[in-house]
Amino acid sequence: MTDLLQLVFAGLSQGAVYALIAIGFVSVFTVSGVINLAQGEFAALAGLVAISAVGSGLPLPAAAAVALATVAIVAVLMERLTIRPVKRMTTLVSLILTLGVSTALKALMLLVFGPNAEGLTPFTPGGFTVAGVSIRYQELWILAIAAVVASAVYWFYDHTLAGKSLRACAEQPVAARLVGISLGRASLMAFLIAGCVGAVAGVLASPIYFTSWESGLTLGLKGFVAATLGGLVSVRGAVLGGLLLGVLENLTAGYISTGLRDAVAFLLLIVVLVARPSGVFGRHAEARV
Amino acid sequence: MARPALRLPGPHRRRSRRGDVIGITVIAVLLVALALFAPPGLTNVGVYALIYSLAALGLSLLMGLAGQVSLGQAGFFAIGAYTQAVLVTRYEVGALLASVAAVAVTMTVALLVGLPLLRLRGHYLALATLGFGIIVTVLATESDFLGATSGIFGIAKPEFNGRTYDSTTEYFLLLVPVVLLGLLLARNVVESRIGRALGAVNDSEVAAESLGVDTFRLRVQVFVLSAAYASVAGTAFAHWLGVVNPNTANFPLSVSFLLMAVLGGVGTVYGAVIGAFAVEGLDDGLRRLIPELVPGAVGEVQLIGFGILLTTIMIFLPGGLHQLWTTARRRLSGSDLEGGGPPADADATADAVAPPPDESPLLAREGRPVAGTPLLEVSGLTKRFGGVTAVDDFDLTVHAGEIVALIGPNGAGKTTAFNMISGAVDPTAGTVTMAGMRVEGRKPHVFARAGATRTFQNLQIFTSATVLGNVMVGRHLRSRTGLLGAALVLPARREERALEASARELLDLLGLGPDADRLAVDLPFGRQRLVEVARALALEPDLLLLDEPMAGLSGAERRDLARLLRRLRAGGMAIVLVEHDVEAVLALADRVAVLEDGVRIALGAPEEVRHDPAVVAAYLGVEPEDSSAVAVAETGPGELR
Repeated sequence: MTDLLQLVFAGLSQGAVYALIAIGFVSVFTVSGVINLAQGEFAALAGLVAISAVGSGLPLPAAAAVALATVAIVAVLMERLTIRPVKRMTTLVSLILTLGVSTALKALMLLVFGPNAEGLTPFTPGGFTVAGVSIRYQELWILAIAAVVASAVYWFYDHTLAGKSLRACAEQPVAARLVGISLGRASLMAFLIAGCVGAVAGVLASPIYFTSWESGLTLGLKGFVAATLGGLVSVRGAVLGGLLLGVLENLTAGYISTGLRDAVAFLLLIVVLVARPSGVFGRHAEARV
Repeated sequence: MARPALRLPGPHRRRSRRGDVIGITVIAVLLVALALFAPPGLTNVGVYALIYSLAALGLSLLMGLAGQVSLGQAGFFAIGAYTQAVLVTRYEVGALLASVAAVAVTMTVALLVGLPLLRLRGHYLALATLGFGIIVTVLATESDFLGATSGIFGIAKPEFNGRTYDSTTEYFLLLVPVVLLGLLLARNVVESRIGRALGAVNDSEVAAESLGVDTFRLRVQVFVLSAAYASVAGTAFAHWLGVVNPNTANFPLSVSFLLMAVLGGVGTVYGAVIGAFAVEGLDDGLRRLIPELVPGAVGEVQLIGFGILLTTIMIFLPGGLHQLWTTARRRLSGSDLEGGGPPADADATADAVAPPPDESPLLAREGRPVAGTPLLEVSGLTKRFGGVTAVDDFDLTVHAGEIVALIGPNGAGKTTAFNMISGAVDPTAGTVTMAGMRVEGRKPHVFARAGATRTFQNLQIFTSATVLGNVMVGRHLRSRTGLLGAALVLPARREERALEASARELLDLLGLGPDADRLAVDLPFGRQRLVEVARALALEPDLLLLDEPMAGLSGAERRDLARLLRRLRAGGMAIVLVEHDVEAVLALADRVAVLEDGVRIALGAPEEVRHDPAVVAAYLGVEPEDSSAVAVAETGPGELR
C-alpha cells in the first residue's frame, strides 16, 4: 500500500510536468492545426538555460525568469520565421517543419551546453516522509506551480477577451477573421503560451528528472500523448491526461520494469487512439463530408 | 534526346518508360563512376548513402503514395539489422538467406504494427510511428538476447562465390544493383494501378473509396513495403559496420531518412537516392566543419544542419530537389512544355462529333440483375446530428433498370441520405441492403464492391490526375494487378493498356475524348461533373447514385446527359439522382421520391408527384388549396431552389 501511494505521488508530480507540456500542444494545435514537435525542446531549453544561469551566479528566481524569457523569444521567433511564411499548411508540412525546428534546437543546445545531462538546484532542497511515503519539496513545488499555471491558462481562455478570441480562431477561423480577429496574432499568442508553459515545465522538472540536449524528445512525446488522451483540444483534458500518464508510467516502472517506463506512453497512445479517437476525456466530434 | 517526350499530348501525362530507362541508366553510370574514380573517403560516404537511400526510398513511397509520414523508419531499419545479425552470428545462416529472412520478419512486424496504427490519421499516425521507433530502441536496450546496450558484434563482410566484399569500393559496387532494383520496383509501383488508386486517395479519399478503392488495405500494403525497404537497408548496414546496437533505431536516424526523402522530393523515387547522397555528404561535411568552428563540439552536431535544411525546404521548396529540377526544365524549354491543353485537333473533333441522337442501350453486359428485381433496399434510415434529425425513417426500394429521382427543397436531407446509402456517413439507425448485402455503416468501397457507386454534389475530382487518370481510377475494381504484380510490371502492362483503352472509349462516349489528357481541374465546372459521371460509369455499376449531375451544365449538355441516362437504363443500370431541375427530373425518372425536412412526403410516378398537394406545398410554401400555386407547379417553374 505504501508502495502504491509512493508511486502514485511520484506519478502525479511527473504527470504535472507532462500536463504543462500538453497544454502547450493544445494551445498551438487549436489555433493553427499544427502539432508542434519542438514543444519538448522548449522545456529542455528552459532547463538548460536555467542551469547555466545558476552556474554563472544568478539566483534561482532570476535564472528561472531568464529561462522563461529565452524560451518565449524562441517560441515567438519560431512562429514568425517558420509557421507564418507557409501558405498551405498541411499535416505533412507542419510535422516536417516543426521536426526541423526541433532538430535544429536540439543540435543548438548540444553545441552551446554540451552533451551532459545535469539537474537544476532544487527550489527547496530535501523532503519529508508522511505515512511511509517520501516526498521531496521540489515535487510539491511542481504540483503547486503546475496547478497555478494550468488554472491561469484555463482562466485566460475562459475569461479574457484575448483568450476568447483564440478560441474563436480555433473553432471558426473564417468567422473570427470576419469579426476582426487577426489569425496571425492569435497564432503568435498561441506559440507564446506554448513557450511559456513549456519553459515552466522544463525549469520545474530539471531538479528531479535532469535535463540534457536530448530530453526534449521524450518530454515532448509524452506531452503529446497526454494532450491526445485529453482529446488534443482541451486544457482540462490535457491536464487530466498528463496526470494519468504520469501515474501509469510510475506504476509500470514500479511493478513491472523500469525499462518499460518509456514504452507505456506509446502503447497507451495507440490503444487509446484506436479505441477512442477523440481521447479518453474528449467529446466525440463528427467529421464533416 | 528529350524530343520524343515533348510530343506527348500533355505535360501531365504519365512519365514515359523511355524516360525511366534513361533515368535509371544515368544513375547507374554515375554510381559506378563514383565507385571507380572517387577517393576512398568519398566512396565510404557513398556506401552509407546507398544503404540509407533504400530506407529513404521506402519512406518516400509511404509519404508520396499513402500520404502518411513515418517518424519511426529507423525502427524497421533496426529490426532488419538485428534479425540479420542474430541469424548470421548466432545461427550461422548464409548472408543472402539471412537477409531474406530478415526482410520477411520485418514485413511481418510491419503488418502487425500497421494494422492498428494505420487506423490513425495524420498527426496521430506520425507520432505513433515515432513511439514505435522508441519502443524498438527500448526493447533492444532491455533485451540481453540482443546484447542490450552494446548490441551484437562480429558480423562478417558478405561472401559470394568464395569472394569477400570487404573493401569500400567492392561493397559499394555490391550495393549498386540492389539500389537500382529497388528504384525500378518502386517506380513500377508508383506508376501502377495501386499507385494511381493511392494518388486518388490523397486527392479525395471519399471519392476513391466510392470507386471501390480499399484505402486501409492499400495503406497497410504500402506501409509494409516501406518497412521492407528499410529492412533491406538494415541488413546491408549490419554487414558493413559489423556491429548492430540500439542506436540503429535512433530517432535522429529516422529524421535523416525523412530529410533524404523530403530533400529529394517526396514520392519521386530518384529523389530519395539523390537526397541520400546529399544528406550523407552534408553529414560528413558538418561533422568535420562544426568542431572546427565550435571548439569542443562533440556528438550529433550535424543535426543542426539537418534541422535548418528540413525547415528551409518545407518553407521554400516543399517539392524538394525534384521541384527545382522540373521548374528549371520548364523554364529552359519555355512554352514547349507549358503548351498543355487539348491537342490541336480539338476543334476538328468537336465538329466531327455532333452525334445523331442515339438511344441504343449502353453498358449492357452479362450478369446484370434482371430488370424489375429489387436492387437497393433502404429501410428506416435515420441520421441525427446532435438534436437535428437530418433524415428521418427513410424507406426506398430501387429496382434494377429504373431511374428514381430524389427531390426536395434545400436542406431536405437528400445528400445526407446519399451519404448514408453510399457509406460516406454512418446512419444513426436503419438498414441499407445492396444486391442482398447489408452495407450500412460500412465503408464506401464495400458499397462499390456490391456494384454501386456515386458522384458528388461538391465535386470530388482527383485534382492531381488527368481526365483519363480520373476515369482509370474508376476501373479499379475492373482490374486486379496487386502490389507484387505491379512491382514486377510484366503481367501488369497488358492490363494497363486494356484499362486505358476502355477508359478512353468511355470518355469519347461522354464527349470528353479531346480533354482526356488534360488535368481534370483545368476543365470548366460542368465538364468536371461529366468527368465524375464518366469515372463512376467506368466501374460499370448496377446502381448509380448521381448527386445533382445537371448543376453547371448547359441546356445542350443537360439533354445529352439525360439521353445518356436513358441509354444506361436501357442497358440495365439502375440510377438514383438528386436534382434541382425538377422538369428534367420529371421527364426522366420512372419514380420520384420527395423529401422535406428529412421525411419522405411522397413517392410515386412523376405525374402523381407533380400533383401531390404536399409536394406543391413543400416547394412553394403555400397551403394545398391555393390553386394558382398548383398551376405554377404544373407548368413547371424550371429550376426550383
